Amino acid sequence: MKSRNVWNLFAALAVLSLILAACAPTTAPATTQPPAQTTEAPAATTPPPAATTQPPAQKVTIRLTTWAGTGESAELQQILDKINAENTAFQIVHEPAPDDYYTKMQTALAGGTSADLIWLSQEWVANLASKGALLDISDYLKGDSSPAAQLDDYFPDVLKTAAYNGRYYGLPWIAQPVVLYYNKALFDAAGLSYPDETWTWDTFKEAAAKLTKDLNGDGKNDQWGFTLNGWPPPQMFVWQAGGDVIAADLKSCPVDSPAAIQALEFYTELIYSDKYAPPQATIQEQGFGEMFKAGKIAMFMGGAADDLDRVEGLSVGVAPVPRGPANRATFAWTASTVIAAQTKYPDLAYQALVQLTEGIHHWKIAPPRKSLATAEAIAKIEPRKANSAAAIAAAVPEMRAFNVIPQHQEWDSVFWGEFMDPLFQKKAQPADLAPEMRAKLEAFLP
Amino acid sequence: MTISAWETYYPTLLRWLATGGGLILLMVALYRILRWFKVKPEAANGYALVLPWILGLLIWNLYPFGRSLYLSFTEYNIFQPPKWVGLSNYVRMFTRDPYFWPSFRLTLSYAALNVPLGLLGSIGVALLLNRPIKGIGIWRTIYYLPAVLPAAAVALLWRWMLSPTSGLINFLLQPVYRLLNVEPLAWYTDSRLVLPAFVIMGMWGVFGANTVILLAGLKNIPKELYEVAEIDGASNWHKFTRVTLPMLSSTMFYNVITGIIGSLQIFTQAFFIPIPRASGTFLNVKIYQEAFSYGRFGYASALAWFLLLVILLLTLLVFRSSSLWVYYEAEKR
Repeated sequence: MKSRNVWNLFAALAVLSLILAACAPTTAPATTQPPAQTTEAPAATTPPPAATTQPPAQKVTIRLTTWAGTGESAELQQILDKINAENTAFQIVHEPAPDDYYTKMQTALAGGTSADLIWLSQEWVANLASKGALLDISDYLKGDSSPAAQLDDYFPDVLKTAAYNGRYYGLPWIAQPVVLYYNKALFDAAGLSYPDETWTWDTFKEAAAKLTKDLNGDGKNDQWGFTLNGWPPPQMFVWQAGGDVIAADLKSCPVDSPAAIQALEFYTELIYSDKYAPPQATIQEQGFGEMFKAGKIAMFMGGAADDLDRVEGLSVGVAPVPRGPANRATFAWTASTVIAAQTKYPDLAYQALVQLTEGIHHWKIAPPRKSLATAEAIAKIEPRKANSAAAIAAAVPEMRAFNVIPQHQEWDSVFWGEFMDPLFQKKAQPADLAPEMRAKLEAFLP
Repeated sequence: MTISAWETYYPTLLRWLATGGGLILLMVALYRILRWFKVKPEAANGYALVLPWILGLLIWNLYPFGRSLYLSFTEYNIFQPPKWVGLSNYVRMFTRDPYFWPSFRLTLSYAALNVPLGLLGSIGVALLLNRPIKGIGIWRTIYYLPAVLPAAAVALLWRWMLSPTSGLINFLLQPVYRLLNVEPLAWYTDSRLVLPAFVIMGMWGVFGANTVILLAGLKNIPKELYEVAEIDGASNWHKFTRVTLPMLSSTMFYNVITGIIGSLQIFTQAFFIPIPRASGTFLNVKIYQEAFSYGRFGYASALAWFLLLVILLLTLLVFRSSSLWVYYEAEKR
């Protein structure tokens, strides 16, 4: 009988423990917790007590997730260390996730365990903002006098990628324009003058044709004027012709406009063409940027921050991209830091965001701000780019970023899978596909 | 700056142990309660011991099952609460989604080719492996190896082997291409060749579980039947068609059912090998994309339920047809 009572006690305990296990908070029971070091914090809305009396143990942890790899993380950490040393209210902890970043980031957002600050490339802000996953910081920005919060200092076309429906959800931290890298030795050997701001599509094509050569006489080209592999994005050339693939008002996808067709025909003519550029198999075998570094490509359109102009044994110049029929728009690779709507400390996360953005603007080139994207400033931020700084600064005012819609990922997969892929495979002409593609792409517009 | 193990690892470990301990206590509790209701000790024991699995089935299978049925009638992007939209997901699937029918067609054609070819192939291999030759154990092990390799690794291997420019298969076929003076086949990058490429990959699955099951079926055929047939003067062909096939039909039946389910649910290869959009997307991959790439969990659930119904229907059809071609020894014919 005694043992029966013991069992009954067990039974009661069992039920109790399961209830406890189910209701357990995300942090361990208090008994297992060491003295709070970083997580326990005053509510975000109450200002922290004076810095002198506040031990650093009371700092709120603001988590930041990025796709930064090892080297980039180490550089970023220097910025964070400085911010963390100066602030008594919060400290930023970096959680890099270089692999499968967007899956991880979205899973964490959905699971309610997201970092407070998140890096997003330009195609993503509208998507997550439309789902209510990001914090609207427009009101914070209005009352903030810090330099990084002055929206009119940002390049408008870059800033728009951090906005959705007229509200701001983040601050861009980079605006990297595409520039033209050229191999001086190959130009000298061909007796051609170097690319400059007078170049147009025609000058460019002419030079690319002259620089594509069969050096050893085996009937196959082994030096090429240019190379294209889905990069730079075809949008850039459409912009240069005065067209667009998503209109600025997000109401149409005029890929069948004469300007778009003209640009895509120019683009298609260059892709894997015997006259100007290496075939796909060669690029796959030898590597896209690597071929330029190996001295086999005369001209390469790369991001302003690329290391193509500091390859040992290669004398490389940098110029703005050639001008199209309408303008010399260049693609801006841009990304923003945003705040997760689920953050527990919106005020401190916003402060952290502004300070972090200011820090990154003095680290990455080019900063997305007019006051910082000068040749002198760029050369100061990245001394290894001193020789290219003038060309980069010249490209910066003509930067364009994508017009982004909430369903951009899907739009992109159709644009590339059904429109660009057949053009790359030389299975179709832009004019034949464009009208049908316009309808398909417009189906994704909001 | 570093986060201590107390904040990250130990709470998880503790909760994990608490769940395990709680489960044991719950089993004991169930036993006590059943005994209190005068249930026999053996039965109470049994229920208590299967409790974790029943709970697992309820929590991890049945609940998501019901939940996904509910979600299929909603619009849900996991960030905002599901919004009831009635049948609109199903209407969209059949009428408005331009990618649904090509995907369904691709998936069905794959199954239609893969199941019969796979069955023929595995019967052939099983017959070979059933021969009394020296070292047959080694051969059987070799032919079973594909089943124990990780599917993702196999998919990546195939991706390389079928690669149009640097793959092994096109390398080996080079003399043929030169002889016929044709361009090398662009396997999975040419939309017309996607289906053949995937069926070839599917054949790989022939050597594995299916063959072993058929081999077991072959081993189960009583020797006497062959002896009797021989005495009656049956040729090898007659022995195969009149003894082997009928006696093997119940095993084949099982293989056809699992083959249909497996082929319609093809995911791993399809996920790891990018194919042109023009050829469609395998349904399971489409479900994944709709949910995890585009955040349409409601629509993805609707697609998943459609796939389930298709599989159910085909399975029922095969079951119905089985009386025509499946022979059980115990039955009269």
